[in-house]
Amino acid sequence: MSEAAPAAALVPDRVVLPESAEEVQAVVLEAGEAGTRLLPAGRGTWLGAGGWGVDPGTRSEPGGGGEAGGRSESGGGTDNPRIVSTERLDAVHHYEPADLTLTAGAGIGLDHLARVLEPNGQWLPFDGPACDTGTLGAAVASGVSGPLSARYGATRDNVLGLEVVTGDGRILRIGGRVVKNVAGYDLVRLFTGSRGSLGVITRVSVRLFPRPDADVTLLFGGDAAGAVAAARRVCTHEVPVAAVEVIEGDEGGVGRAAAVAVRLLGGVDEVDESRARIVAAAGADPSAALEGGESRAFHERRIGWEAGAGVVARLAALPDRLAETLACARAVAAQTGGATSADAMQGVVRVKGSCGEGDLAALAEGLLRGRREMAAAGGTLTLSQAPAEVAARVGWTGGGGEEGGLTSRIKSLFDPDSTLAPSCP
Amino acid sequence: MSAATDTLTLALKEQEEGLLNCVHCGFCLPACPTYRRLGDEADSPRGRLHLMRAVVEDRLSADSDAFQRHISRCLGCRACEPVCPSGVAYGQLLELARQVGGEARRPPLLNRLLLRVFGTGWIARPAMFAARMLRATGIPALSARLLSGDSTPKGARLGVAMLAASGSAGALPEAADPAHPASDPAAGSDRSSGNGTPPADSTPPAAPTAALAASPPPTTVGLLTGCVQAGLFSRVNEATARVLEANGYEVVPVPGQGCCGALHAHAGDLEAARAMARRNVEAFETAGVDLLAMNASGCGAAMAEYGTLLAHDDRMAERAAALAARVRDVSELLAARGPLPGAEVPMQVTWDAPCHLLHAQGVASPPTTVLNAVPGLEVLPLAGAQECCGGAGIYGLTHPRLGGWIGADKVRSVLDSGAAALVTGNPGCMMQIGAGLRLRGSSVPVLHLVEILDESYRRAGRYRPEVP
Amino acid sequence: MIPKALAVSLTGICGPDGVIADRDRLLVYESDALTAYRHRPGAVVLPRTTDEVRRAVQAITRHGLPIVPRGAGTGLSGGAVPLGGAVVIGTARMNRILSIDAANRRAVLQPGVINAELSAAAAAHGLYYAPDPSSQTACTIGGNVAENSGGPHCLKYGVTSRYVTGLTVVLADGSVVRLGGQGREAPGYDLVGLFVGSEGCFGIATEIEVGLLPVPEGVRTLLGIFDRIEDAGRAVSDIVSAGLLPAAMEIIDGPTIRAVEDSVFAAGYPTDAEAALVIEFDGLEAGLDAEAARAAEFCRCAGAREVRSAKDEEERLALWKGRKKAFGAMGRIAPDLLVQDATVPRTTLPAILKGISEIGKRYGLVVANVFHAGDGNLHPNILFDRRDEDELERVERASKEIMQICVDSGGTITGEHGVGLDKKHHMPLIYGEAELDTMWGIRRVFDPGEVLNPGKVLPEETDPAARASRDDGAVGEKPAAAPAPAHA
Ligand SMILES: Cc1cc2nc3c(=O)[nH]c(=O)nc-3n(C[C@H](O)[C@H](O)[C@H](O)COP(=O)(O)OP(=O)(O)OC[C@H]3O[C@@H](n4cnc5c(N)ncnc54)[C@H](O)[C@@H]3O)c2cc1C
Ligand code: SF4
Ligand code: SF4
Repeated sequence: MSEAAPAAALVPDRVVLPESAEEVQAVVLEAGEAGTRLLPAGRGTWLGAGGWGVDPGTRSEPGGGGEAGGRSESGGGTDNPRIVSTERLDAVHHYEPADLTLTAGAGIGLDHLARVLEPNGQWLPFDGPACDTGTLGAAVASGVSGPLSARYGATRDNVLGLEVVTGDGRILRIGGRVVKNVAGYDLVRLFTGSRGSLGVITRVSVRLFPRPDADVTLLFGGDAAGAVAAARRVCTHEVPVAAVEVIEGDEGGVGRAAAVAVRLLGGVDEVDESRARIVAAAGADPSAALEGGESRAFHERRIGWEAGAGVVARLAALPDRLAETLACARAVAAQTGGATSADAMQGVVRVKGSCGEGDLAALAEGLLRGRREMAAAGGTLTLSQAPAEVAARVGWTGGGGEEGGLTSRIKSLFDPDSTLAPSCP
Repeated sequence: MSAATDTLTLALKEQEEGLLNCVHCGFCLPACPTYRRLGDEADSPRGRLHLMRAVVEDRLSADSDAFQRHISRCLGCRACEPVCPSGVAYGQLLELARQVGGEARRPPLLNRLLLRVFGTGWIARPAMFAARMLRATGIPALSARLLSGDSTPKGARLGVAMLAASGSAGALPEAADPAHPASDPAAGSDRSSGNGTPPADSTPPAAPTAALAASPPPTTVGLLTGCVQAGLFSRVNEATARVLEANGYEVVPVPGQGCCGALHAHAGDLEAARAMARRNVEAFETAGVDLLAMNASGCGAAMAEYGTLLAHDDRMAERAAALAARVRDVSELLAARGPLPGAEVPMQVTWDAPCHLLHAQGVASPPTTVLNAVPGLEVLPLAGAQECCGGAGIYGLTHPRLGGWIGADKVRSVLDSGAAALVTGNPGCMMQIGAGLRLRGSSVPVLHLVEILDESYRRAGRYRPEVP
Repeated sequence: MIPKALAVSLTGICGPDGVIADRDRLLVYESDALTAYRHRPGAVVLPRTTDEVRRAVQAITRHGLPIVPRGAGTGLSGGAVPLGGAVVIGTARMNRILSIDAANRRAVLQPGVINAELSAAAAAHGLYYAPDPSSQTACTIGGNVAENSGGPHCLKYGVTSRYVTGLTVVLADGSVVRLGGQGREAPGYDLVGLFVGSEGCFGIATEIEVGLLPVPEGVRTLLGIFDRIEDAGRAVSDIVSAGLLPAAMEIIDGPTIRAVEDSVFAAGYPTDAEAALVIEFDGLEAGLDAEAARAAEFCRCAGAREVRSAKDEEERLALWKGRKKAFGAMGRIAPDLLVQDATVPRTTLPAILKGISEIGKRYGLVVANVFHAGDGNLHPNILFDRRDEDELERVERASKEIMQICVDSGGTITGEHGVGLDKKHHMPLIYGEAELDTMWGIRRVFDPGEVLNPGKVLPEETDPAARASRDDGAVGEKPAAAPAPAHA
């Protein structure tokens, strides 16, 4: 699998803001003909998730939509990719609360979407990185799920249908808006998490959920080792919980080296009962218990946890290796003066840090060492934000597995001329 | 296709509606012991039905290797019936298919000989049975050992003798058993005639039975003594009579009865099976019993289907159906009365459900009820208890390899269960599993359900106290 | 029939009892559970390991023959039916559970493991495998992966693809690839997700890693009895709108009720009712009673004549038994059955149900409905007798109309049974040329020579390669001859 050489802090050729799939198509075709590379984006707040180190600062205000979008300041020669933003594709096309499904333009902000759903007591439980202010389309394109996926399924499990414009300019409407659909091959899953490398997602249908009546977060403070052990106990406990996170440092807000945040969602009786049993299993009263709006706010804040960090990496292995994965993540964090946050149910640890003054070569070395360690245990380390120099040495994903060339053949089926900037995820 | 096959195919065609009932859903596949082991759908119930249907549709000859081979490889265990949502009467269709197949091609000598053996009541004793069969057929070494020397004579002493001799039974303190001073367990058998006639001296002790008999009017039952049991399992017949009497049934002799015809029907010799059925209908009607007691579930299943077997017999159809409705497994009769508790039999046993009891007759809980009523008896779970033991009538002899494979799996799970004895309810299964255990060098005895209860009653002194 | 040389090499790979090449014996492999289609395979092989599958695939393709994977043959779209003398690779002997990793709630297994048996094995660890097709006692996990199967409890828990985390796949060229695995965080395209639901066209799954869930502590099962099926449909919609999330909501209509009650699996549904709605909640004991009570109230408001609740596990199983065995029980009313599988938006259920019964009436056909109402996944079963030609014709027309009204309501042609052979000609109802072209393209990414399960899922007339060759005037050879189905 070929990997994109990450660009330096990116100065886009220009940002275009089309208002329909057909306009996106025109942009794509034009770029294809001109040999300009295109970088699909939402609001551009977290372009890093596209595996492309873009400086969010280059995002421009929309300059008159209409015909193939407006132009922002020209950032230089045509070598620089052109950003195609879906920001204006932000309409809600279909929302029937009783069906628990919704179809909207890819550019709708997840914050805006939440406000649409709120009056009906419904929500889209996407809590991956930047799912607070990013767009629906970008959340789907990045495909990265957060801690709630243990309860609600990963992003890919809740996307029902997509409209996309492929890298060679075809408009495809795949999947549908019903919750069960096996007609034809599952291209929806292929596009979910494809990070803009196959096409521009222009419209999305998702499955919604009723917001549970009760929302409680129990915070157990302790030392780092104790926190991991406690988190594992909760994960394998008979009482189902919505999410379990291990938060190191002050962010747990309980004044201890680490905190385990156990989120309980459900009916009022159910949550009361789970709470009592989880506390009994933990063998200690929680240091804090957040209820209702407080609990919700706590987690919503955590969605934006990585925002603004210079280095962000994601380490994943089987959940029972959480201690090892965390140790590996801590080593990286130590180099960047950063912090870790673990989704204990999925065995995923996120690291963020800054790299202003540090030795970048040493950082790259550290990341590579971490990746080797993870790989040895069957795990992975992926970068989602890093200085270009580091990213160039480390690579965003570390390359593919033994997929026998499937990945590159898929890429060329949708984007034969590599018009779309990330060549493969 | 020959003219003979033609006429018989017509019979199968008559059943077309029965075949069409099969919606091809495949629910029966995992229940089938032959499919589970071979993985070939032609050896699954659905596959066999499909082959039958192909014969009816004239797409396949009944004489073809495919039809012959896969129909004959069926155990006839009917595990496929209870799981079928369409209620396909597989057992009946199989018998027809075997008849069609048998006419199209003469069944192998071995089968014919074996069936003759059962039909004519040739043999009264198992040793003779095995010896003759071996001489006549020269079946492979495995089955030879299975039925010869080391298993049979010992097999005849199986059961009560082994129960008394086994370690766990020995754990029972003598003092707890005042009514039953150490005696020759076989003594009881000597006192009965062995053909189902209730032993005159086995009338239960007055107190418990009087109370029991007072409530329901005594039900008269006729015991099918069967061909195999009469010779091999006379002790089981005797025990059956004793425990039924103890539970307030009146066991009435049924002279003139004979082999139930099950094996003939399974093998597709429906005419012979019908002749036997007619004879038994006459005999049991004459005896005028309320219910028919079965201690061989293979025979029970067959007799319960006399109505279908003789459906086209103008003279007999109704009578056969009426009789069939009165067929009960001994476990059902006992469970219906409690059964009466006896003394402790402190041992660990495990229960293997005979196919023709569980699948063909749908009798699932009564045997457990009976076992649970025996104080001190612990029933351990048996993995795959609902699966055929591979005995399946003469299957172990006609398909030694596959039968041996299935049998070996059963033996393994019996040994894995950790039980000190295996309890079941059909002589064929007792022979098959018993022989298999012995081949594995195990001394775990195989007992009939009634033997356990019988021993419990004996220890409790429910039978006439023995004079030392 | 396959060439002798191929039979010999397959025997070398799978052993003499692992190869079936006798024409008569092959008859039993001509159909899956949709018996309207019958095509005899060239041969059947029954390998035991990934390596045997790999070698068998290489041997078969060397002789230029197509290959069709087969699990338990419970598929309802003709997916496992071998066209063009294909060699069937059956997974019946690949039935081992390789490991159950309780700490990470996952299991690795061979594809021939039966769905219910995985749950039975996991039960020792307090875990189970969530997707529960009504055929779970018989169907294989390999088949579930290929069809992306759902089941009654997928309303709350989601379908197969949510639970498959890794695959070992033998591709058409005989190479072995591993997709995902060790959980599901692998970077790159979601090839596992793409493979799930590929209906045997992308490769043969030879090892499958799945996620398991803890067995719910408590269950409450309700049965609402309705005099009008539309009312039952409305109750479903109301329950969902109210924010309740039952584990399952299943509707059994009048004709089906009567068939079930007539069978050995009688569950005690009143035979004069027009719909029975089974609702189940599961989870922690606490709160279940309250949820069940609310759902019962919704049923009454929607017009239920009676709402029962299962008092114990035995009653609960009886309620479910009637539902799970309903399909088979229909075999008792008519010899042939055409099962449909459309999904519609839940809110359109009442209107669609009415529409379906009108179509049935118009064509003089009995349409029995038993379906996953919570998901809007309908199974209108059209009952018929293939020996009646006029009826056959009406069945075909009615079935098309039913599909059309479902699609018009915003639905799709198949929710869980797959397209297979049966619905491929209906694919243009929901996809345009661009989408179908792309699907052809994806198929060729995995299987450029169209070796695996040819003639399935995509209609030939949408095949861009075939179109191109027609444009070139190169008439004649079709890529894979798909003979007309018996009922079409
Ligand atoms: C009574 C009844 C009820 C049913 N209920 C449901 C239900 O509730 N939900 C539901 O979703 N389905 C249901 N089905 C349909 C069917 O059971 C499912 O589609 C099931 O997944 C098929 O599994 P199988 O093992 O029988 O596969 P098969 O029918 O043998 O094959 C199905 C497809 O999978 C392919 N395949 C099989 N194994 C592999 C493999 N290892 N690798 C690649 N491809 C493979 C085959 O080529 C074929 O295309 C029902 C069927 C019946 C008869
Ligand atoms: S279970 Fe019954 S209906 Fe289903 S395939 Fe087997 S015999 Fe046929
Ligand atoms: S009777 Fe037994 S062996 Fe024969 S098809 Fe049925 S389950 Fe299989």
